[in-house]
Amino acid sequence: MTIDADTIRHLSEVSVSVELQTEDMTLNIGPQHPSTHGVLRLVARVDGERCHDVQPVIGYMHRGYEKLSEVRTYPQITTIVNRIDWVAGYANEVPFIVAAEKLMGVEAPERAQYIRLILTEMARMASHLVFMASYPLELGAATPLFFALRERERVLDLLEGVTGGRFHPNFNRIGGVKPAYGAGSSTRKMIQDLPAGFLKDTRDAMGRVLGVCDELEDLVAGNEIILARTKGVGILPPEVAVSYGVSGPNLRASGVSFDLRRAESYLPYESFDFDVITGENGDCWDRWWVRLQEIREAARIIVQAVDGIPAGPLQAKVPKIIKVPKGETYVRAENPKGEMGYYLVSDGGTGPYRLKIRSASFSNISVLPYLLEGILVPDIIATMGSLDFVLGDVDR
Amino acid sequence: MTSSPSETTTHPLQEYADLVAETVGGEATVAFDAIKVVVPLDRWVDVHVTARDRLGLVFFSWLSAIDWANEVAVGDPPGETVEERFELLTSLGDVTEGRRVTFSATVDKTSPVVPTLVEVYAGANWHEREAHEMFGIVFEGHPNLTHLYLPESFIGNPLRKSFPLLSREVKPWPGTVDVEGMPGIADDEPTTENPEA
Amino acid sequence: MLETVLDIFDNFWVALGAKLLLVALLIPLIGMVIGFAEIKLSAKMQARMGPYFAGGRWGWAQLIADGIKFFQKEDIIPDNADRPVFKTAPMLVLVGTVALFVVIPFGPGLIFRDLSVGIFYALAISSLSTIGVLMAGWSSANKYSLIGGLRAAGQLIAYELPLVLAAVGSVIMAGTMSMSGIVEAQITAGYPYVIFQFVGFGIFMVAALAELTRIPFDMPIAESELVMGYLTEYSGFRFLFFFLAEFANMFTMSAIAATLFLGGYWLPGIPTETLEFVGPVILLAKVFLLAFAMIWFRWTFPRFREDQLQTLAWKWLIPLALANIGATAFFKVVL
Repeated sequence: MTIDADTIRHLSEVSVSVELQTEDMTLNIGPQHPSTHGVLRLVARVDGERCHDVQPVIGYMHRGYEKLSEVRTYPQITTIVNRIDWVAGYANEVPFIVAAEKLMGVEAPERAQYIRLILTEMARMASHLVFMASYPLELGAATPLFFALRERERVLDLLEGVTGGRFHPNFNRIGGVKPAYGAGSSTRKMIQDLPAGFLKDTRDAMGRVLGVCDELEDLVAGNEIILARTKGVGILPPEVAVSYGVSGPNLRASGVSFDLRRAESYLPYESFDFDVITGENGDCWDRWWVRLQEIREAARIIVQAVDGIPAGPLQAKVPKIIKVPKGETYVRAENPKGEMGYYLVSDGGTGPYRLKIRSASFSNISVLPYLLEGILVPDIIATMGSLDFVLGDVDR
Repeated sequence: MTSSPSETTTHPLQEYADLVAETVGGEATVAFDAIKVVVPLDRWVDVHVTARDRLGLVFFSWLSAIDWANEVAVGDPPGETVEERFELLTSLGDVTEGRRVTFSATVDKTSPVVPTLVEVYAGANWHEREAHEMFGIVFEGHPNLTHLYLPESFIGNPLRKSFPLLSREVKPWPGTVDVEGMPGIADDEPTTENPEA
Repeated sequence: MLETVLDIFDNFWVALGAKLLLVALLIPLIGMVIGFAEIKLSAKMQARMGPYFAGGRWGWAQLIADGIKFFQKEDIIPDNADRPVFKTAPMLVLVGTVALFVVIPFGPGLIFRDLSVGIFYALAISSLSTIGVLMAGWSSANKYSLIGGLRAAGQLIAYELPLVLAAVGSVIMAGTMSMSGIVEAQITAGYPYVIFQFVGFGIFMVAALAELTRIPFDMPIAESELVMGYLTEYSGFRFLFFFLAEFANMFTMSAIAATLFLGGYWLPGIPTETLEFVGPVILLAKVFLLAFAMIWFRWTFPRFREDQLQTLAWKWLIPLALANIGATAFFKVVL
């Protein structure tokens, strides 16, 4: 039997089409999904477990705070900004208040600044403990959740003791922090300070938080499976991170030693001794590790602040009706999630003319299409979770 | 553009602000501890390339706009007459010294077309989409200029001053009514607390 | 009197009916006991109380209440689902579990059917439930379910082999595939096989965890990735079937492991005459020890990634299991 050239060519063409034909599947992760922390939606094109082209879709929680703040007065806006990153509600207030104070030429008394600093660090601790709780859960380990949330509750108890609110303290006033009034007519002018025993309780709570940090390190960092799931996954190079505006622990995990607590002077951080923690590889593991260390550093800062808190008034003298003089400024702060800033434009009225809210999570998750290119479905969850975003902080 | 007390004496940031203005070619003002450099719109992309490559402002913080308008649908109109325009703003920083500069350019309201910065800073992508839907500014060359927050069928640009806040049309903001004084404190008594809170 | 009662069971059909009834009661009971143990133990490990009020004390009636709740729920079948397949899948999963009870020796002679190929039958039947899982994933008309079902299929292929190969070691040592034969061989030898088959025992337990799709191998469910995997669209009593099958499967897998490696219903030092009575107790103790280990793993470990699981199976467990068989065969022939 002879085989002519045509048959050979025909056969070679046949063998090409024998290859398995696969079809991409469009997978909608979210807006209702256990791991999207609310209502983030990812439209992923997956080929089996491998995914290419992930597009985040946001806006399911857009509340129009920038427009709203144009029709509200300055004191009313603190209630709005509390709800941007609700996991660390207190920390959102500080840069806004500092921006307004800057335009008014008012400066809060030192004691008020220390209280702000203590509460901001507590908010950071609470936020990072939520991450410590939720991230292993995304990898399938349920138990660290309870350890981390148990101690977070103690931190929130302290916050509540001072401010009256666990999530939305609304405690800052232009020119200081909110003084509480004593009950009864005889004490009507008495301005209540920090609750009794607050400083001692805080020291105790910090010891417990440091204890749970050790526990979490044992439970999570000593686990081979967690290391296998996170090391080398979702690597974010520093040059990519800065061009996307990724900030905070996510940026520091990529090896960039940059902390607005050191670079800016919105709170008296310069008189405190703490380290700026950086990672090495910028992978999921480093992002976890940096946050764990930041809890420890926050505890260090709080203990120093509690020891060195000065006596004095809580409020500077401000007019009864707040009117901010004409001008514009930008104040940014190192929030738990990253750079949180307010571009405040005032035209001399009782409310801002324009308030641009720069939130950290927005920029942090805009890097997702870069990070999720060509990785496996389980790694999507691992990488997304490691960025530690809050949807309120994304959508505003 | 604003008169601030810090302008009369030399602000510590003034020297750096002048350096930035000279390098990118613009006018610098320092007010309230913030540097703002006004640059012409036709050199918008160049300015950012220069700022990134020669000034080391590699960190893209945000991009947004201000709608300067004399007639507003909600809220208070500006105290004095302003020039009708969009002011386009970007905030850049470095990640070593903690320096931060706001760049500003005037955009014509009748044809708000701006070249995109996506090629310079990847992070500009979402911020430009936000400015596009909120102000109606068109970013030429943007790879995906669609709505970011709002549904694609949404009509209008919410952050323009001419855009009414629908809920306020229906009902006035209840927060504008006078707030009662704290119990036990006479209204005329001066307090250090802000009564509006 | 007693003899006349026992005579009734000589009738094949009566005996079969009695055995079926026993299994039908045993499986929900065992499922509930292990399920309750899991709930309470996980609570203990996580500094929680767990169920507290149902039943008045320790929440002992919690799972009974859950079961009643599941039966009250509407039976929801998605519009686009492949209805017959969707309905059959949970039954298939449960049937696989029930069928495994046939060959587990609870004591000398206390076995539903002492098949001469007992272990072969057990391992073959245990993969039936994976087919049920694949059917559930495929028929749900849900992308998450589909991925979950396919992951389960991939896991089955990867972990059936080490499971079977690990069991071969004990079979070689005993020289029989009958489950009660393996226990009797261990009694005769005077030691449980785990002493020489510790590698096989380890591989068997890892593979059993993967077979049961429990953490760290619960990728087919993976609630943080796939919502609930192949279970996503199930509710009501169909979900209960899966739930029950999971815990009953824990029991059967632990029982097989105990029989193959830990001496089954026998303990060294227990006189063989008493085994008819204490045998089931000994087996249950061993089973609960193994089930406790599984629960402990579940609440300590995160889950692997799918490719890491395949690497573990093909590059580590299978070569190790083959080496174990070679070594066992060598010593069997030489000694």
